[in-house]
Amino acid sequence: MTRRARLWVLTAGLLGTAALFAAACLRMPPFGGTWHPYGDRAVQAALLQRTANTVSSVNFDQRAFDTLGEESILFAAVLGTVVLLRRTSGERRVTPQPASVPPAVRRYAIAVLPLALLIGLYVVAHGQLSPGGGFQGGVVVATALHLLYVGVDYRALERVRPVGLYELADGVGEGAYVVLGAAGLLAGSAYLANILPLGTFNTLSSGGTVPLLNAAVGMEVASAVVVLLARFLAQALEIVDEKEEGRERGERRKRE
Amino acid sequence: MNGWLVAAAVLVVAGLGPSLWGAARGGAGRRVVAQNAATLLLCLVFLLLAQGYGRPSYVDLALVTSVLGPAGTLVFVRLLGDEIDAPPPGLRLLTPLVAVGTPATLVPLCIATGPGRALLKLLVVGALLVAGGLVTSRALRHA
Amino acid sequence: MREALDDALVVASLLFVAAAATAAVLTRDPARQAVVLSLLGLGLALLFTVLQAPDVALSQLAVGSAVTPLMILLTVREVRRRKRRE
Repeated sequence: MTRRARLWVLTAGLLGTAALFAAACLRMPPFGGTWHPYGDRAVQAALLQRTANTVSSVNFDQRAFDTLGEESILFAAVLGTVVLLRRTSGERRVTPQPASVPPAVRRYAIAVLPLALLIGLYVVAHGQLSPGGGFQGGVVVATALHLLYVGVDYRALERVRPVGLYELADGVGEGAYVVLGAAGLLAGSAYLANILPLGTFNTLSSGGTVPLLNAAVGMEVASAVVVLLARFLAQALEIVDEKEEGRERGERRKRE
Repeated sequence: MNGWLVAAAVLVVAGLGPSLWGAARGGAGRRVVAQNAATLLLCLVFLLLAQGYGRPSYVDLALVTSVLGPAGTLVFVRLLGDEIDAPPPGLRLLTPLVAVGTPATLVPLCIATGPGRALLKLLVVGALLVAGGLVTSRALRHA
Repeated sequence: MREALDDALVVASLLFVAAAATAAVLTRDPARQAVVLSLLGLGLALLFTVLQAPDVALSQLAVGSAVTPLMILLTVREVRRRKRRE
Protein backbone atom coordinates (compact mmCIF):
# COMPACT_ATOMS: atom_id res chain seq x y z
CA MET A 1 0.00 0.00 0.00
CA THR A 2 1.37 3.44 -0.80
CA ARG A 3 1.94 6.04 1.88
CA ARG A 4 -0.90 8.11 0.48
CA ALA A 5 -3.40 5.23 0.62
CA ARG A 6 -2.36 4.38 4.18
CA LEU A 7 -2.95 7.98 5.25
CA TRP A 8 -6.43 7.84 3.71
CA VAL A 9 -7.26 4.63 5.59
CA LEU A 10 -5.96 6.21 8.82
CA THR A 11 -8.00 9.38 8.28
CA ALA A 12 -11.17 7.40 7.59
CA GLY A 13 -10.61 5.32 10.70
CA LEU A 14 -9.92 8.33 12.90
CA LEU A 15 -12.96 10.24 11.59
CA GLY A 16 -15.20 7.20 12.10
CA THR A 17 -13.95 6.70 15.66
CA ALA A 18 -14.35 10.42 16.41
CA ALA A 19 -17.95 10.41 15.12
CA LEU A 20 -18.91 7.31 17.14
CA PHE A 21 -17.12 8.65 20.23
CA ALA A 22 -18.89 12.02 19.99
CA ALA A 23 -22.26 10.32 19.48
CA ALA A 24 -21.65 8.09 22.52
CA CYS A 25 -20.56 11.03 24.70
CA LEU A 26 -23.75 12.96 23.89
CA ARG A 27 -25.94 10.11 25.18
CA MET A 28 -23.90 9.35 28.32
CA PRO A 29 -25.51 9.58 31.76
CA PRO A 30 -23.95 12.40 33.85
CA PHE A 31 -20.75 11.58 35.78
CA GLY A 32 -21.13 10.42 39.38
CA GLY A 33 -24.96 10.36 39.40
CA THR A 34 -27.17 8.29 41.69
CA TRP A 35 -28.84 6.16 39.01
CA HIS A 36 -27.01 2.81 38.73
CA PRO A 37 -29.44 0.15 37.49
CA TYR A 38 -26.78 -2.54 36.98
CA GLY A 39 -24.84 -1.70 40.15
CA ASP A 40 -27.92 -1.86 42.37
CA ARG A 41 -28.92 -5.28 41.03
CA ALA A 42 -25.36 -6.62 41.27
CA VAL A 43 -25.05 -5.52 44.92
CA GLN A 44 -28.41 -7.07 45.73
CA ALA A 45 -27.40 -10.37 44.11
CA ALA A 46 -24.02 -10.30 45.91
CA LEU A 47 -25.74 -9.84 49.28
CA LEU A 48 -28.10 -12.75 48.50
CA GLN A 49 -25.04 -14.93 47.76
CA ARG A 50 -23.40 -13.66 50.99
CA THR A 51 -20.34 -12.36 49.13
CA ALA A 52 -19.08 -9.15 50.75
CA ASN A 53 -17.01 -8.03 47.74
CA THR A 54 -19.56 -7.39 45.00
CA VAL A 55 -16.87 -7.29 42.31
CA SER A 56 -15.83 -10.85 43.20
CA SER A 57 -19.46 -11.91 43.20
CA VAL A 58 -19.88 -10.53 39.67
CA ASN A 59 -16.61 -12.05 38.44
CA PHE A 60 -16.83 -15.50 40.01
CA ASP A 61 -20.54 -16.07 40.55
CA GLN A 62 -22.95 -13.88 38.59
CA ARG A 63 -20.75 -13.83 35.48
CA ALA A 64 -18.29 -16.62 36.24
CA PHE A 65 -18.50 -17.87 32.65
CA ASP A 66 -16.96 -14.61 31.38
CA THR A 67 -14.07 -15.08 33.79
CA LEU A 68 -13.49 -18.57 32.41
CA GLY A 69 -12.98 -16.88 29.03
CA GLU A 70 -10.54 -14.36 30.50
CA GLU A 71 -8.59 -17.07 32.28
CA SER A 72 -8.38 -19.03 29.04
CA ILE A 73 -7.02 -15.96 27.22
CA LEU A 74 -4.10 -15.80 29.65
CA PHE A 75 -3.61 -19.55 29.35
CA ALA A 76 -3.54 -19.34 25.55
CA ALA A 77 -1.20 -16.32 25.61
CA VAL A 78 1.30 -18.14 27.82
CA LEU A 79 1.04 -21.24 25.64
CA GLY A 80 1.82 -19.08 22.61
CA THR A 81 4.85 -17.57 24.36
CA VAL A 82 6.14 -21.01 25.30
CA VAL A 83 5.93 -22.10 21.66
CA LEU A 84 7.44 -18.91 20.22
CA LEU A 85 10.28 -18.43 22.71
CA ARG A 86 11.60 -22.00 22.66
CA ARG A 87 15.21 -22.83 21.92
CA THR A 88 15.56 -23.39 18.18
CA SER A 89 18.20 -25.21 16.16
CA GLY A 90 21.44 -23.25 15.98
CA GLU A 91 20.94 -21.95 19.52
CA ARG A 92 22.69 -23.20 22.61
CA ARG A 93 22.01 -22.94 26.32
CA VAL A 94 24.80 -21.35 28.37
CA THR A 95 25.13 -20.77 32.11
CA PRO A 96 24.65 -17.05 32.78
CA GLN A 97 27.36 -15.18 34.67
CA PRO A 98 26.56 -14.63 38.36
CA ALA A 99 25.74 -11.00 39.20
CA SER A 100 27.15 -9.07 42.13
CA VAL A 101 24.43 -7.71 44.43
CA PRO A 102 25.02 -5.58 47.56
CA PRO A 103 24.61 -7.77 50.69
CA ALA A 104 21.84 -5.51 52.03
CA VAL A 105 19.76 -6.13 48.89
CA ARG A 106 20.35 -9.87 49.18
CA ARG A 107 19.23 -9.90 52.83
CA TYR A 108 16.16 -7.81 51.95
CA ALA A 109 15.14 -10.13 49.11
CA ILE A 110 15.48 -13.25 51.25
CA ALA A 111 13.61 -11.67 54.19
CA VAL A 112 10.77 -10.17 52.14
CA LEU A 113 10.23 -13.22 49.89
CA PRO A 114 8.16 -15.23 52.43
CA LEU A 115 6.26 -12.11 53.50
CA ALA A 116 5.46 -11.26 49.88
CA LEU A 117 4.27 -14.82 49.24
CA LEU A 118 2.05 -14.55 52.32
CA ILE A 119 0.61 -11.23 51.11
CA GLY A 120 -0.11 -12.79 47.71
CA LEU A 121 -1.91 -15.77 49.27
CA TYR A 122 -3.79 -13.38 51.59
CA VAL A 123 -5.03 -11.41 48.58
CA VAL A 124 -6.16 -14.66 46.87
CA ALA A 125 -7.90 -15.96 50.00
CA HIS A 126 -9.74 -12.71 50.77
CA GLY A 127 -11.10 -12.12 47.26
CA GLN A 128 -14.68 -12.69 48.41
CA LEU A 129 -14.31 -10.17 51.26
CA SER A 130 -12.04 -7.30 50.19
CA PRO A 131 -10.49 -5.94 46.98
CA GLY A 132 -8.33 -8.54 45.29
CA GLY A 133 -8.69 -12.17 44.34
CA GLY A 134 -7.04 -14.87 42.30
CA PHE A 135 -5.59 -12.71 39.55
CA GLN A 136 -4.11 -9.98 41.74
CA GLY A 137 -2.82 -12.36 44.40
CA GLY A 138 -1.44 -14.75 41.79
CA VAL A 139 0.65 -12.00 40.20
CA VAL A 140 1.96 -10.95 43.64
CA VAL A 141 3.02 -14.56 44.35
CA ALA A 142 4.83 -14.80 41.01
CA THR A 143 6.53 -11.42 41.57
CA ALA A 144 7.62 -12.54 45.04
CA LEU A 145 9.50 -15.53 43.56
CA HIS A 146 11.33 -13.21 41.16
CA LEU A 147 12.72 -11.22 44.09
CA LEU A 148 15.28 -14.03 44.02
CA TYR A 149 16.36 -13.02 40.53
CA VAL A 150 16.54 -9.27 41.14
CA GLY A 151 17.86 -9.50 44.69
CA VAL A 152 20.03 -12.61 44.74
CA ASP A 153 20.94 -14.43 41.55
CA TYR A 154 19.37 -16.13 38.56
CA ARG A 155 20.55 -19.51 39.81
CA ALA A 156 18.79 -18.95 43.16
CA LEU A 157 15.56 -18.40 41.24
CA GLU A 158 16.13 -21.52 39.15
CA ARG A 159 16.42 -23.59 42.31
CA VAL A 160 12.86 -22.72 43.47
CA ARG A 161 11.41 -22.70 39.98
CA PRO A 162 11.22 -26.06 38.24
CA VAL A 163 9.44 -24.70 35.16
CA GLY A 164 7.86 -28.06 34.28
CA LEU A 165 6.04 -28.15 37.61
CA TYR A 166 4.69 -24.62 37.08
CA GLU A 167 3.54 -25.53 33.57
CA LEU A 168 1.65 -28.42 35.10
CA ALA A 169 0.16 -26.16 37.81
CA ASP A 170 -0.92 -23.71 35.11
CA GLY A 171 -2.90 -26.44 33.39
CA VAL A 172 -4.30 -27.79 36.66
CA GLY A 173 -5.51 -24.30 37.67
CA GLU A 174 -7.23 -23.82 34.33
CA GLY A 175 -8.71 -27.33 34.52
CA ALA A 176 -9.92 -26.83 38.09
CA TYR A 177 -12.04 -23.88 36.97
CA VAL A 178 -13.66 -25.94 34.21
CA VAL A 179 -14.29 -28.87 36.57
CA LEU A 180 -15.76 -26.61 39.28
CA GLY A 181 -18.14 -25.33 36.61
CA ALA A 182 -19.14 -28.87 35.67
CA ALA A 183 -19.88 -29.58 39.35
CA GLY A 184 -22.81 -27.20 38.94
CA LEU A 185 -24.18 -29.41 36.14
CA LEU A 186 -23.73 -32.58 38.21
CA ALA A 187 -25.61 -30.97 41.10
CA GLY A 188 -28.56 -30.54 38.74
CA SER A 189 -28.09 -26.81 38.24
CA ALA A 190 -26.43 -24.72 35.52
CA TYR A 191 -22.75 -24.64 34.48
CA LEU A 192 -20.69 -22.61 37.02
CA ALA A 193 -23.73 -22.18 39.27
CA ASN A 194 -22.92 -21.42 42.92
CA ILE A 195 -23.95 -24.78 44.41
CA LEU A 196 -21.94 -24.85 47.65
CA PRO A 197 -23.31 -23.74 51.05
CA LEU A 198 -23.00 -19.95 51.17
CA GLY A 199 -21.63 -19.69 54.72
CA THR A 200 -21.81 -16.67 57.02
CA PHE A 201 -21.62 -13.21 55.41
CA ASN A 202 -18.21 -11.48 55.72
CA THR A 203 -16.25 -14.55 56.83
CA LEU A 204 -13.47 -16.38 54.97
CA SER A 205 -15.72 -19.35 54.21
CA SER A 206 -18.55 -17.26 52.71
CA GLY A 207 -19.54 -16.99 49.08
CA GLY A 208 -19.90 -20.69 48.18
CA THR A 209 -17.80 -21.46 45.10
CA VAL A 210 -16.31 -17.92 44.90
CA PRO A 211 -13.24 -18.66 47.11
CA LEU A 212 -12.64 -21.99 45.31
CA LEU A 213 -12.75 -20.37 41.87
CA ASN A 214 -10.45 -17.64 43.20
CA ALA A 215 -7.99 -20.30 44.36
CA ALA A 216 -8.08 -21.97 40.92
CA VAL A 217 -7.47 -18.65 39.19
CA GLY A 218 -4.73 -17.77 41.68
CA MET A 219 -2.91 -21.01 40.92
CA GLU A 220 -3.31 -20.55 37.18
CA VAL A 221 -2.18 -16.91 37.16
CA ALA A 222 0.80 -17.39 39.49
CA SER A 223 2.08 -20.33 37.43
CA ALA A 224 1.31 -18.59 34.13
CA VAL A 225 3.34 -15.50 35.09
CA VAL A 226 6.22 -17.67 36.34
CA VAL A 227 6.25 -19.67 33.07
CA LEU A 228 5.97 -16.48 31.00
CA LEU A 229 8.87 -14.77 32.79
CA ALA A 230 10.90 -18.00 32.68
CA ARG A 231 10.72 -17.89 28.87
CA PHE A 232 11.74 -14.22 28.76
CA LEU A 233 14.59 -14.80 31.23
CA ALA A 234 15.85 -17.82 29.31
CA GLN A 235 15.91 -15.86 26.03
CA ALA A 236 17.71 -12.88 27.57
CA LEU A 237 20.18 -14.73 29.79
CA GLU A 238 20.62 -18.34 28.75
CA ILE A 239 19.98 -18.91 25.07
CA VAL A 240 22.64 -17.75 22.62
CA ASP A 241 23.26 -18.25 18.95
CA GLU A 242 26.02 -20.75 18.26
CA LYS A 243 27.72 -18.31 15.87
CA GLU A 244 27.52 -15.49 18.41
CA GLU A 245 28.86 -17.69 21.16
CA GLY A 246 31.86 -18.59 19.03
CA ARG A 247 32.60 -14.94 18.39
CA GLU A 248 32.30 -14.06 22.07
CA ARG A 249 34.69 -16.82 23.00
CA GLY A 250 37.12 -15.56 20.35
CA GLU A 251 36.95 -12.03 21.74
CA ARG A 252 37.57 -13.25 25.24
CA ARG A 253 40.61 -15.21 24.08
CA LYS A 254 41.95 -12.14 22.29
CA ARG A 255 41.58 -10.04 25.44
CA GLU A 256 43.41 -12.62 27.50
CA MET B 1 -13.67 18.71 56.17
CA ASN B 2 -11.75 15.50 55.73
CA GLY B 3 -8.09 16.10 56.65
CA TRP B 4 -6.97 12.66 55.41
CA LEU B 5 -8.24 13.30 51.91
CA VAL B 6 -6.71 16.81 51.91
CA ALA B 7 -3.36 15.28 52.89
CA ALA B 8 -3.73 12.66 50.12
CA ALA B 9 -4.50 15.38 47.55
CA VAL B 10 -1.47 17.40 48.70
CA LEU B 11 0.78 14.33 48.39
CA VAL B 12 -0.55 13.66 44.87
CA VAL B 13 0.02 17.22 43.67
CA ALA B 14 3.23 18.07 45.55
CA GLY B 15 4.76 14.57 45.62
CA LEU B 16 3.66 12.44 42.67
CA GLY B 17 3.71 15.41 40.28
CA PRO B 18 7.42 16.23 40.85
CA SER B 19 8.22 12.48 40.73
CA LEU B 20 6.73 12.31 37.25
CA TRP B 21 8.84 15.32 36.24
CA GLY B 22 11.92 13.51 37.55
CA ALA B 23 11.05 10.28 35.74
CA ALA B 24 10.25 11.92 32.41
CA ARG B 25 13.60 13.61 31.76
CA GLY B 26 17.32 13.06 32.16
CA GLY B 27 19.42 9.94 32.64
CA ALA B 28 18.29 6.47 33.65
CA GLY B 29 19.50 6.79 37.26
CA ARG B 30 17.51 9.92 37.94
CA ARG B 31 14.41 8.34 36.46
CA VAL B 32 14.66 5.22 38.61
CA VAL B 33 15.11 7.36 41.74
CA ALA B 34 11.92 9.24 40.81
CA GLN B 35 10.09 5.94 40.18
CA ASN B 36 11.09 4.71 43.62
CA ALA B 37 9.93 7.94 45.27
CA ALA B 38 6.62 7.65 43.39
CA THR B 39 5.91 4.11 44.70
CA LEU B 40 6.62 5.26 48.26
CA LEU B 41 4.38 8.32 47.90
CA LEU B 42 1.59 6.33 46.26
CA CYS B 43 1.67 3.84 49.12
CA LEU B 44 1.24 6.71 51.62
CA VAL B 45 -1.58 8.14 49.47
CA PHE B 46 -3.38 4.76 49.55
CA LEU B 47 -3.13 4.68 53.36
CA LEU B 48 -4.55 8.22 53.61
CA LEU B 49 -7.33 7.43 51.13
CA ALA B 50 -8.31 4.27 53.06
CA GLN B 51 -8.67 6.35 56.22
CA GLY B 52 -10.31 9.29 54.44
CA TYR B 53 -12.91 7.17 52.65
CA GLY B 54 -13.47 5.13 55.82
CA ARG B 55 -12.69 1.89 53.95
CA PRO B 56 -10.16 -0.21 55.90
CA SER B 57 -9.98 -2.79 53.08
CA TYR B 58 -8.26 -0.21 50.82
CA VAL B 59 -5.18 -0.66 53.06
CA ASP B 60 -4.54 -3.83 51.02
CA LEU B 61 -3.56 -1.57 48.11
CA ALA B 62 -0.85 -0.01 50.28
CA LEU B 63 0.23 -3.46 51.50
CA VAL B 64 0.73 -4.69 47.93
CA THR B 65 2.47 -1.44 46.89
CA SER B 66 4.88 -1.63 49.81
CA VAL B 67 6.12 -5.02 48.53
CA LEU B 68 5.91 -4.57 44.76
CA GLY B 69 7.22 -0.98 44.67
CA PRO B 70 10.75 -1.82 45.89
CA ALA B 71 10.65 -5.04 43.80
CA GLY B 72 10.01 -2.90 40.71
CA THR B 73 12.87 -0.55 41.56
CA LEU B 74 15.21 -3.53 42.04
CA VAL B 75 14.16 -4.81 38.60
CA PHE B 76 15.22 -1.48 37.08
CA VAL B 77 18.50 -1.42 39.03
CA ARG B 78 19.29 -5.00 37.99
CA LEU B 79 18.56 -4.59 34.28
CA LEU B 80 19.55 -0.94 33.73
CA GLY B 81 22.66 -1.39 35.91
CA ASP B 82 25.29 -0.08 33.48
CA GLU B 83 23.12 2.88 32.39
CA ILE B 84 22.67 4.20 35.94
CA ASP B 85 25.32 6.79 36.80
CA ALA B 86 26.47 6.22 40.40
CA PRO B 87 25.33 7.93 42.50
CA PRO B 88 22.32 9.04 40.46
CA PRO B 89 21.14 12.67 40.90
CA GLY B 90 18.35 13.09 43.46
CA LEU B 91 19.35 9.97 45.40
CA ARG B 92 20.20 11.93 48.55
CA LEU B 93 16.56 13.15 48.70
CA LEU B 94 15.28 9.58 48.91
CA THR B 95 16.43 8.64 52.43
CA PRO B 96 14.97 11.80 54.07
CA LEU B 97 11.74 11.20 52.15
CA VAL B 98 11.46 7.68 53.58
CA ALA B 99 12.63 8.71 57.06
CA VAL B 100 10.25 11.68 57.36
CA GLY B 101 7.33 10.78 55.09
CA THR B 102 6.63 7.30 56.45
CA PRO B 103 6.38 8.17 60.17
CA ALA B 104 4.67 11.51 59.44
CA THR B 105 1.87 9.60 57.68
CA LEU B 106 1.78 6.42 59.73
CA VAL B 107 1.86 7.81 63.27
CA PRO B 108 -1.37 9.85 62.91
CA LEU B 109 -2.99 6.90 61.10
CA CYS B 110 -1.98 4.49 63.85
CA ILE B 111 -3.38 6.82 66.51
CA ALA B 112 -6.65 7.16 64.57
CA THR B 113 -6.88 3.38 64.06
CA GLY B 114 -6.31 2.29 67.65
CA PRO B 115 -5.12 -1.18 68.73
CA GLY B 116 -6.18 -4.25 66.76
CA ARG B 117 -5.51 -6.16 63.56
CA ALA B 118 -5.76 -3.00 61.46
CA LEU B 119 -2.92 -1.45 63.47
CA LEU B 120 -0.77 -4.53 62.89
CA LYS B 121 -1.35 -4.22 59.14
CA LEU B 122 -0.35 -0.54 59.23
CA LEU B 123 2.84 -1.38 61.11
CA VAL B 124 3.70 -4.10 58.56
CA VAL B 125 3.22 -1.59 55.73
CA GLY B 126 5.40 0.94 57.58
CA ALA B 127 8.19 -1.58 58.21
CA LEU B 128 8.10 -2.73 54.56
CA LEU B 129 8.25 0.89 53.35
CA VAL B 130 11.24 1.79 55.53
CA ALA B 131 13.13 -1.43 54.71
CA GLY B 132 12.30 -1.15 51.00
CA GLY B 133 13.28 2.51 50.87
CA LEU B 134 16.62 1.99 52.58
CA VAL B 135 17.52 -1.08 50.53
CA THR B 136 16.59 0.43 47.17
CA SER B 137 18.66 3.55 47.86
CA ARG B 138 21.58 1.29 48.82
CA ALA B 139 21.12 -0.67 45.59
CA LEU B 140 20.97 2.55 43.53
CA ARG B 141 24.14 3.88 45.14
CA HIS B 142 26.04 0.72 44.15
CA ALA B 143 24.44 0.29 40.74
CA MET C 1 -17.03 20.38 50.63
CA ARG C 2 -16.53 16.62 50.60
CA GLU C 3 -17.78 16.43 47.01
CA ALA C 4 -15.39 19.19 45.95
CA LEU C 5 -12.54 17.27 47.57
CA ASP C 6 -13.51 14.02 45.81
CA ASP C 7 -13.66 15.89 42.51
CA ALA C 8 -10.26 17.50 43.17
CA LEU C 9 -8.72 14.05 43.74
CA VAL C 10 -10.28 12.70 40.53
CA VAL C 11 -9.10 15.72 38.52
CA ALA C 12 -5.57 15.54 39.97
CA SER C 13 -5.35 11.80 39.17
CA LEU C 14 -6.69 12.32 35.64
CA LEU C 15 -4.14 15.08 35.00
CA PHE C 16 -1.35 12.88 36.36
CA VAL C 17 -2.39 10.01 34.07
CA ALA C 18 -2.59 12.32 31.03
CA ALA C 19 0.82 13.84 31.80
CA ALA C 20 2.44 10.43 32.41
CA ALA C 21 0.96 8.98 29.21
CA THR C 22 2.22 11.97 27.20
CA ALA C 23 5.67 11.65 28.78
CA ALA C 24 5.70 7.91 27.94
CA VAL C 25 4.94 8.68 24.29
CA LEU C 26 7.61 11.40 24.11
CA THR C 27 10.32 9.17 25.61
CA ARG C 28 11.92 7.36 22.67
CA ASP C 29 14.43 5.05 24.38
CA PRO C 30 12.48 1.88 25.32
CA ALA C 31 14.45 1.21 28.51
CA ARG C 32 13.79 4.70 29.88
CA GLN C 33 10.24 4.52 28.58
CA ALA C 34 9.72 1.50 30.84
CA VAL C 35 10.38 3.75 33.86
CA VAL C 36 7.78 6.29 32.69
CA LEU C 37 5.34 3.45 31.95
CA SER C 38 5.77 2.26 35.51
CA LEU C 39 4.73 5.74 36.74
CA LEU C 40 1.78 5.69 34.34
CA GLY C 41 0.75 2.39 35.94
CA LEU C 42 0.94 3.93 39.42
CA GLY C 43 -1.16 6.89 38.21
CA LEU C 44 -3.80 4.56 36.77
CA ALA C 45 -3.93 2.63 40.06
CA LEU C 46 -4.49 5.94 41.87
CA LEU C 47 -7.21 6.97 39.38
CA PHE C 48 -9.05 3.64 39.78
CA THR C 49 -8.87 4.01 43.57
CA VAL C 50 -10.29 7.53 43.70
CA LEU C 51 -13.05 6.30 41.34
CA GLN C 52 -13.76 3.62 44.00
CA ALA C 53 -12.58 0.67 41.92
CA PRO C 54 -9.92 -0.85 44.21
CA ASP C 55 -10.12 -4.30 42.57
CA VAL C 56 -9.05 -2.85 39.22
CA ALA C 57 -6.40 -0.71 40.95
CA LEU C 58 -4.96 -3.82 42.57
CA SER C 59 -4.79 -5.63 39.19
CA GLN C 60 -3.01 -2.63 37.68
CA LEU C 61 -0.54 -2.43 40.56
CA ALA C 62 0.19 -6.16 40.47
CA VAL C 63 0.91 -6.24 36.75
CA GLY C 64 2.42 -2.78 36.28
CA SER C 65 4.89 -2.43 39.13
CA ALA C 66 7.33 -5.30 38.55
CA VAL C 67 6.17 -7.86 35.96
CA THR C 68 5.73 -5.50 32.99
CA PRO C 69 9.04 -3.62 33.56
CA LEU C 70 10.83 -6.97 33.87
CA MET C 71 9.38 -8.21 30.58
CA ILE C 72 10.14 -4.94 28.75
CA LEU C 73 13.71 -4.68 30.04
CA LEU C 74 14.52 -8.34 29.29
CA THR C 75 13.20 -7.84 25.76
CA VAL C 76 15.23 -4.64 25.32
CA ARG C 77 18.36 -6.44 26.49
CA GLU C 78 17.83 -9.32 24.05
CA VAL C 79 17.04 -6.99 21.11
CA ARG C 80 20.15 -4.89 21.81
CA ARG C 81 22.31 -8.00 21.95
CA ARG C 82 20.99 -9.18 18.58
CA LYS C 83 21.57 -5.72 17.08
CA ARG C 84 25.17 -5.69 18.28
CA ARG C 85 25.71 -9.02 16.56
CA GLU C 86 24.53 -7.76 13.17
